[in-house]
Amino acid sequence: MVRCHWAKEIVAIAAPLFFAGCTTQPSLYNYEDYSSSYYNSVKTPGDETKLKLQQSMEKAIETAGESRSGRVPPGMYANLGYLYLKQGESAKAIEMFNREKTVYPEATQFMDRVIQKAELVESDSK
Amino acid sequence: MKRTVRHGLLPIVLLSLLLSGCATNHVTKADEFPGMYEEQPRSLLILPPINESTDVEAKAYYMTTVEVPFALSGYYVFPVEMVSDIMKQEGVYDTEVLYQVPHEKFREYFGADAVLYTRIKKWDLSYMVIASSLTVSIESEIVSTESSQQLWKYTGTVVVDLSGGNAGGGVAGLIAQAIVTAVNTAAADYVDYARVANTRLIGTLPVGPYHEMYMKDQGVQIVDQTPGE
Repeated sequence: MVRCHWAKEIVAIAAPLFFAGCTTQPSLYNYEDYSSSYYNSVKTPGDETKLKLQQSMEKAIETAGESRSGRVPPGMYANLGYLYLKQGESAKAIEMFNREKTVYPEATQFMDRVIQKAELVESDSK
Repeated sequence: MKRTVRHGLLPIVLLSLLLSGCATNHVTKADEFPGMYEEQPRSLLILPPINESTDVEAKAYYMTTVEVPFALSGYYVFPVEMVSDIMKQEGVYDTEVLYQVPHEKFREYFGADAVLYTRIKKWDLSYMVIASSLTVSIESEIVSTESSQQLWKYTGTVVVDLSGGNAGGGVAGLIAQAIVTAVNTAAADYVDYARVANTRLIGTLPVGPYHEMYMKDQGVQIVDQTPGE
């Protein structure tokens, strides 16, 4: 009995400490394996890791509805758009930058700047 | 005797985790970081960190760990890869010059409400004959681009004992030790522990506008890191 009480106290102390530090189940945003693929693409740069990163971003966008917020994570559309831009797909990139702005108005100024540059690339390629 | 010591380890680790959370001075988020509640920044521009560690790769690796936890605590976080590349193009990525750029410049260019400065204080191994340990220590600071006030500052440190238990004495023991250490210190480990360090420090940050607890977490207790108290 005494042991039982002690265990309860530990849980009572430990649980808030644990929850205070981290976001818990279901997460505010759904990142899929974005973090690890981003790290892998930096650690081992190459087509394969880049493709994995792109896929994880696309997956995170696809499954955004399952997260607590239901939103695509901040920066995710922009990150994907930037990948497209580096692959020369500026029209697709611009579409992503616009979506970033729509979901997060905080990004408007930066995205407008980036869209302007992407449009230059787009008109050059025509 | 040895067996007792080994069995005694887990409770000690757990206990020290608990103690690190409660045996120290506590303050509320509102008392420690009133500026966050006054200015209520919505967006954070994460700048490339200054690497004060001995590991040249720490900076690029650490950069891959920051975007997610700050976003999860409710802030709009500017896309880190794009921001880094812009800094590289501007020639300020690898220098301390970046940290001297007037704050309002970041507001003008990105529309950011606040910037996040990071110093990687430690990202290394210390070898000793009997034990070795891995340390990741990150100091983070949020500064307003409007008032140039420091709104938040905290340090997260993780120290991992890599001794791999008691491998026994003698030469064989030392060799086993060396193997354990080599296995344990793959680069991925640093990033894993950097994530733990991030969790520790970001837990003290008042949450941002996209979090349900926004402007409701003033009373949350955190460990006071202000020196001299």
